[in-house]
Amino acid sequence: MSQAKKYRMTKTQKKRMLKNAGNFALNIPILLIILVPLVYTLSISLVNPDQVYKTLLFPHSIQFGNYVNAFTNPSYNFLRYIINSFIVSTSVMLCQMVTASLAAFAFVFLKFRGQKVLFLAVLATMMVPGEATIIANYLTVARWGWTNSLHVLIIPYMTSAMGIFLLRQSYMTFPRELKEASTIDGCSNIRFLLQIAVPLSRPALGALGAYVFLNTWNQYMWPLLTTDADTYRTVQVGISMLYDIDAQSMGLMMAGVIIVIVPSLSIFVFMNKQLINGLMAGAVKG
Amino acid sequence: MVTNPGKPRPSRIRKTPYEILEPYLFLLPALTIFALFLYYPFARTIYLSTWVTDALGRPKKFVGLDNYTIRLFGKPEFWASIVSTLKFVVVVAFGGLIIGMITSLLTYNRYKGSDFCAAVYAMPVAIASAAASMAFRMIYHPTGGLLNNLFGTQINFLGGTYQFWSVAAVTIWLQSGINFIFISAGLKGVPADLYESCSIDGANYWQKLFHITLPTISPTLFFQIIINIINAFQSFSQVKLLTNESPNSSTNLIVYAIWHDAFRAQRFETAAARSVILFLIILAITLVQFSFEKRSVNY
Repeated sequence: MSQAKKYRMTKTQKKRMLKNAGNFALNIPILLIILVPLVYTLSISLVNPDQVYKTLLFPHSIQFGNYVNAFTNPSYNFLRYIINSFIVSTSVMLCQMVTASLAAFAFVFLKFRGQKVLFLAVLATMMVPGEATIIANYLTVARWGWTNSLHVLIIPYMTSAMGIFLLRQSYMTFPRELKEASTIDGCSNIRFLLQIAVPLSRPALGALGAYVFLNTWNQYMWPLLTTDADTYRTVQVGISMLYDIDAQSMGLMMAGVIIVIVPSLSIFVFMNKQLINGLMAGAVKG
Repeated sequence: MVTNPGKPRPSRIRKTPYEILEPYLFLLPALTIFALFLYYPFARTIYLSTWVTDALGRPKKFVGLDNYTIRLFGKPEFWASIVSTLKFVVVVAFGGLIIGMITSLLTYNRYKGSDFCAAVYAMPVAIASAAASMAFRMIYHPTGGLLNNLFGTQINFLGGTYQFWSVAAVTIWLQSGINFIFISAGLKGVPADLYESCSIDGANYWQKLFHITLPTISPTLFFQIIINIINAFQSFSQVKLLTNESPNSSTNLIVYAIWHDAFRAQRFETAAARSVILFLIILAITLVQFSFEKRSVNY
């Protein structure tokens, strides 16, 4: 009896294991489609130049020459690009948090003339794709002599409708009495914002921050138009500058791709929840 | 304003000038940025599209709608670009949706490894189009790239008729993450009792999929198609980087054409006119989305 029971147990276990393996196996084709390009890029960045065009998926030999080269080659100042991108992405992120918190606060907690019109004006910005205004924006900043600077990469992106909406939604979940009570207690608006609204809207700020940092880090078109000096170049433009003239630069290029993907994937892994919340709020604008 | 009889109206307290001004001060930073980098360039784009400009983009001569009618609509190149863009948008929108649908269904039930699969499926959202384009340039390499090595061929994936599909495939790869995230969220929102009653009736997996799952998540799928379309219209880096700045007419997508007009041909006026057309197309799609969304509320 006990033996039969044992036998049956293992049978169901086996069945479950098979079912699990079957379930997982169905994923393999698309898993490969997503992962192979990344693994292959990593492999190419690690092989010797003479192996670049022969590598199938995994490298035969490993060398870190391309990574050393990316950081030490005087004509390809990768460290500079990374620093620039970090400065720009962090500044854009912090500025959006500030401007969006302020604007969302006014829309939710204050009453003023033209509130509806101004809110519609913010809403309308979501209808305009960035690519449709990018030429005129370029001409403006060129006229101002802003090209080839870091501020040209930061200032135009210091706010976004998506940020304002995200924080507005968060503020609207606060109990009404919270603001009323603190006003009666003589708490100024700015103090309410800093000491109550900001701490309570931390999840929304996190979502906004992760999303904006990633988007700015991944930005390509605007930096391409507005910067052509090495000193102000950002990572995405930096990696796409090299051409695949020979195997040597191919490997360097792939090392560059891996280096710029690492921060993006780190945000994806370590701030996954925030990033996905941000994406869901910002998806419409691409 | 609707008066609420139940509540006593708050007694009017005279506001100090600062109190009147304060809301605007809170809005000032955001609105200044919008004014300088959104409203102004938007108006400026429309304005420039009615002028002939010099090589620095300064308006020189007013020409009315000539930039549209003569310099764009009169050129076969423009229509070829529009047709290619529309074809690209349709392929990418549906390609992304199908991959998103498959990956969401595959990870709907939990099993060992399903969390890993879900993480991988969402991952492309984090990867920049420029970085992915550079990686795929190596994969598509005509002599020693991964694809040619795998198949033992020497196909020029980045030229001829392959070019369109190569660029579209990278774009679908990039968009697959956001499709997975949204459709997955939609699937999780399908009430479980719908499936239960159906299982009792003896429906199989495919019957459930087509009669319950798909109809229930159709608003999500519709919304996702719109996002895919809008994103696909804005594709630029993959075109520029994969085709090495020389797309053939099948890949001369609208944003690339805008960039090319302005920065390679120094024709800022047609770049502006094309930008206005891009805006109108996106606006039309957004309006369609709004009207459908209103209708699907009753669903």
